[in-house]
Amino acid sequence: MISKFTAAAGFVAAVLAGMPAHAQQASSKLDEVLSRGHLILGTGSTNAPWHFKSAEDKLQGFDVDMGRIIAKALFGDPEKIEFVNQSSDARIPNITTGKVDITCQFMTVTGERAQQVAFTIPYYREGVGLMLKADGKYGDYEALKAAGSSVTISVLQNVYAEDMVHAALPEAAVDQYESVDLIYQALESGRADAAATDQSSLAWYMTQNSGRYKDAGYGWNPQTYACGVRRGDQDWLNFVNTALHEAMTGVEFDFYAKSFKTWFGKDLTPPEIGFPVEYK
Amino acid sequence: MDVSFIDQLWLARIPLFKGLGISVSISFLSIVAGTVLGVFVGLALVYGYRPVRWIVRGYTDFIRGTPVLVLVLASYYVLSAIGIDLGPFQAGVLALAVFCSSHVGELVRGALQSIPKGQTEAAKAIGLTFAQTFAYVLGPQALRQALPAWVNTAAEMVKASTLLSIIGVGELLLRTQEVISRTFMSLEFYFFAGFLYFVINYGIERFGRYVERKTAVPS
Repeated sequence: MISKFTAAAGFVAAVLAGMPAHAQQASSKLDEVLSRGHLILGTGSTNAPWHFKSAEDKLQGFDVDMGRIIAKALFGDPEKIEFVNQSSDARIPNITTGKVDITCQFMTVTGERAQQVAFTIPYYREGVGLMLKADGKYGDYEALKAAGSSVTISVLQNVYAEDMVHAALPEAAVDQYESVDLIYQALESGRADAAATDQSSLAWYMTQNSGRYKDAGYGWNPQTYACGVRRGDQDWLNFVNTALHEAMTGVEFDFYAKSFKTWFGKDLTPPEIGFPVEYK
Repeated sequence: MDVSFIDQLWLARIPLFKGLGISVSISFLSIVAGTVLGVFVGLALVYGYRPVRWIVRGYTDFIRGTPVLVLVLASYYVLSAIGIDLGPFQAGVLALAVFCSSHVGELVRGALQSIPKGQTEAAKAIGLTFAQTFAYVLGPQALRQALPAWVNTAAEMVKASTLLSIIGVGELLLRTQEVISRTFMSLEFYFFAGFLYFVINYGIERFGRYVERKTAVPS
């Protein structure tokens, strides 16, 4: 499916490349959004806790909250958003073809992508973590590592899954599963001693099942998440950066911290007053 | 687990029902539009003047040789690049209808060509116009010929409608994935979605059988 899509996207990109670029507009996307009166945000709907539907069928999650921060900065109203529901594969095409003003959809910053879209400042650092049963045999990462080849780790099926686990636990046995619910089930039923996946997913699962699981206290494979906008519009990029920056360090910190607590279950310490944290 | 699946299913009934509605609408619209367009494509392939025939032949060969996913992406992205800005739903239905039309066109061509030439000549001899010949002589026979294959194509369209989840149309598959991301019950909900797709396709199959019976030559 993915490779088929890549080929298809390549075809579409080739067709687009053959067309004349849109005439450069004098005014920025910022003016366009302001006069339109709402933000068009591209995000998904199938990945908790980033962007997913509540039982009431309302889009929610950390990515969605990043969009709300931007909408609040634009209009003073976090609700003024029109969502464009897109698959992960559609993130970059929807930015480059102007279907969305901005995409916030757990997009990992890479050099390759940065050539196609302009990334905002980061709003989260993702990494792989290990989740243990609270009353299980192993207490933490050190115990798992010391147990060597007698531990089994459940992980999502992936070409790099084995290497990824072995980067942290070189001797562990690796069991690969089709979907996230199955890796959790393997841990629950005792077929695996720990589940390895994105720390955000683990954090969300642990807040959902409070007290039953614990984090092994080790993270690796860092990835930066940032929103993306179309290249070549510095004004708009600056605006979005300012909005996100002030949510993490300034007037909107409480909004950001509340969202962080809701989706990842952790309390953030407010930025130190006085000398700006950015320069430390 | 079973009890809680029923609870989760009940909780998710509205989004899933909406998704089912969207899937059925996409399929219905694209099958109807594709069939109407396809009949003209088929007629052009058999009776068109040579240049028309060549153009239509190029159209069907190009469309049939292209993956549906590419058509879906093209109608969503390429059309917007040339100034026709369709929403995901419209773009998706357009792509599927075009795909359907090329298949139906070939079915109609095959069915028409399987009718002995003598019948067209006989119709001409008794003074029927082309429209009358098609309506009273060729059409009904071609319908019988093409029906089983048409049911097949219609079922394909229902399955192809799942591809629209890529461009963010909230059809049954995407809705199911949304529910799974909240409940972590992938097997149960995928099975349920599979069951619903089966029901839709079974309905189409029954409808095809019904029309076949209605149009059968009384023996």
